[in-house]
Amino acid sequence: MASNKISRRELLKLAAASAAAVGTGFIPSIKIFASPAGQETITLRFQENAENYGAIVEAFREKFPNVNIEFVNVTGVDHAEIASKILSQLAAGQPVNIGYAATEATQLYAGEGLAMPLTERAVADQAELAEYFADVSPTLVEGMMYEGDLYQLPRDFNAAHIYLNKTLLEEAGLEVPGETWTKDDFLEYAKALTGIGGGDSFGYGWTNRLWGSWTPWFFVNDTNLLTEERAPGGEAIWNTFYADEPLAEGRGGGWRWPAPQANNPAMVEALEFVVSLTEQGLTPEVQIGGGDTLDGFFVSNKLGMTVAGGFWAGALVAKGMEKGSFEVQYWPEWKSQRHQFGTGGAWILNGAGGEDEAWEFVKFNTATEIMLMIPWMANASTTPVRRSINTPEYWGQTGLENGHVFYDALDKRPDTAPIPAPVFSIEMTNIYTRFTSLATSREMTPKDALDGMQAELEALYARS
Amino acid sequence: MTSSAVQSPAPQPGNPLTRWFRADTLDGVRRQRAILGYLFILPTIIGLLVFIVGPMVGSFGLSFYKWNVFRPPEFIGLANFERLASDARVFVSFKNTFILVAMTVVMLEALALALALSVYRLANRALATFFRTAYFLPVLLSGAAVAVTLGYLFNKDFGVINYYLGLLGVPKIPWLTSSDVVLFSIALTTVWRNLGFTFIIYLGGLSSMPGEVLEAAEVDGATGLQKFLKITLPLLSPTILFAVVTDVIKMLQFFDEPFIMTRGGPGDSSRTVVMMMYESGFGNLEFGYASAIALVLFSVIMIVTGFQFYLSRRWVFYR
Repeated sequence: MASNKISRRELLKLAAASAAAVGTGFIPSIKIFASPAGQETITLRFQENAENYGAIVEAFREKFPNVNIEFVNVTGVDHAEIASKILSQLAAGQPVNIGYAATEATQLYAGEGLAMPLTERAVADQAELAEYFADVSPTLVEGMMYEGDLYQLPRDFNAAHIYLNKTLLEEAGLEVPGETWTKDDFLEYAKALTGIGGGDSFGYGWTNRLWGSWTPWFFVNDTNLLTEERAPGGEAIWNTFYADEPLAEGRGGGWRWPAPQANNPAMVEALEFVVSLTEQGLTPEVQIGGGDTLDGFFVSNKLGMTVAGGFWAGALVAKGMEKGSFEVQYWPEWKSQRHQFGTGGAWILNGAGGEDEAWEFVKFNTATEIMLMIPWMANASTTPVRRSINTPEYWGQTGLENGHVFYDALDKRPDTAPIPAPVFSIEMTNIYTRFTSLATSREMTPKDALDGMQAELEALYARS
Repeated sequence: MTSSAVQSPAPQPGNPLTRWFRADTLDGVRRQRAILGYLFILPTIIGLLVFIVGPMVGSFGLSFYKWNVFRPPEFIGLANFERLASDARVFVSFKNTFILVAMTVVMLEALALALALSVYRLANRALATFFRTAYFLPVLLSGAAVAVTLGYLFNKDFGVINYYLGLLGVPKIPWLTSSDVVLFSIALTTVWRNLGFTFIIYLGGLSSMPGEVLEAAEVDGATGLQKFLKITLPLLSPTILFAVVTDVIKMLQFFDEPFIMTRGGPGDSSRTVVMMMYESGFGNLEFGYASAIALVLFSVIMIVTGFQFYLSRRWVFYR
């Protein structure tokens, strides 16, 4: 009788055939959730965590018991990294129904058709949303628009300001500077705050990223990394919610950044200035990232000034800094005093089903009492988009006396604009930080670094 | 008169498949044992297929496509490889990776062998156990945690390393912000974290060496250096080959330390191939191009490993 043993060779052949079958199935396709027609309960995947939104979801479900919210916690060092993770989940067929995007990713999601336009829904629900929009600066709303449509309802924002360590100020015999302080005043402050606090303090520190970093410096030098213009459209939002608002005049359908201009003279001048701060020993070595390194230096009184937004106030107190031991001021004036900001809000996945329920959840989150249920919103670890929350009492919980500058950067400075963040902002940011690091490490002169940056940005625009 | 012919066993009940499986013959027993063995390793094989081989084959296929997640994959043939061949940044990343491999592997093997010899010769067993544990502990740490911590230590202005060097009169070294030094800093970090693993491999190799050969050499008047060069190293050569091959394969896939400590900077001076892959795929949403880079890296690893085995014929001594 013939033996029918399974030989190792046969098993390996079978395994290889199985692997090929499995492998060819790995060219993924984007799975779209089936529309839950006729289903009583719907589950929405929401990019957040229970710690921040657990209470809000419970409150929402009291109004909409048929809607389940499943948390999808996505973390990252910076917004670009979070966007990459969201897209990876999308690639794996596990997209979120409701995401949160900052300016860095707004046009990416909108431009690629991932996010659902909200203009029609907002206008249709104007009675419900009128109070919200009246309490939110049109500057922020325009930042969440793309090619004439609104894609997100802003939740929080941060404009870049200068934080000052009052312990070091006192040691240097300085007062908190006035609102119209200049770049030259800043330089004097930086020099005075260097080498004190035990002898090893630095006057000013920053980290290499898109928001913050040296972006505010080229903004106040009256230029930008990319050329700017306003997209047409947006009238539905402006006419419905901001008909009588002077700050809404001249606004369009979102921002466009049509071309790079990284190496124009004003950009070179700005980068030369920040690099000179390192050369003069006023700034510690510049690292790439979200600024965690600077937290420790500032809290331990080794750093006199740094760039941050409202998010830092609550964070500094949480890290042990005494309330009232730090203060904030507008960015110093150079050729202008134009501020840069980033804002963020929830976006709804286009075509995945459950859009109506998702819209109800997004609207639910615009109420003041709901926003303040988020722990880090309540403890002043961000800048709320609602003007009515930005009170002296709100910022006073961190000891700040100048907390008004955060929202005044929008209300009193109509030229305040979002950081440049076109559809391909992730790749643009990589180029920006890479060449910035070459300049700050003195491997290249600022001019050469920006020439290199311009060349790569032009190539990026050509293939995008 | 009875027949002495061997009688065939009575046919077993059931279908042919179960009869084949339950055959009460020598072949049947072997078959059952083989199938049982394969069943035991089946979970591992499934895991390998699903999590390693499958994605590898998928990535191989994806390298011939252009895909940014938002739109369906578009077949572009060899375009990704043509682009790779002219991409200066990819070449820089390969160069950085090879330099890191050379520095790291040389330091790792030399230090690990020296430590293993020292610990092996310790008469005090308790002390030997202590050092074995102490040297291996960093291996158990998360690469990200090590990179974050060493990043702080290497900070030019506030780092502890420059602080103590400053006490010796050494000016502050820009460990992570100078292209002259950054690869060395990353190599040091990697060596510190991985030393314990290579050390344990060498310690195991030394422990399995026949003691009588060394004793005989000692009787014949061989010096310590002669014993080391003529006896210990040749007998240890298979272990050295294993350690070098595994370390080279590991280090060709450098990612954690440069990504966290420098993000590949300044510029591209510490950007490795895997970082380029990550940037292309998850940063620039060019998953096809990233897959092409991955395929080239895989080929490089295969070639380097094959070359190491080819060279081993000249210097590896098998007992």
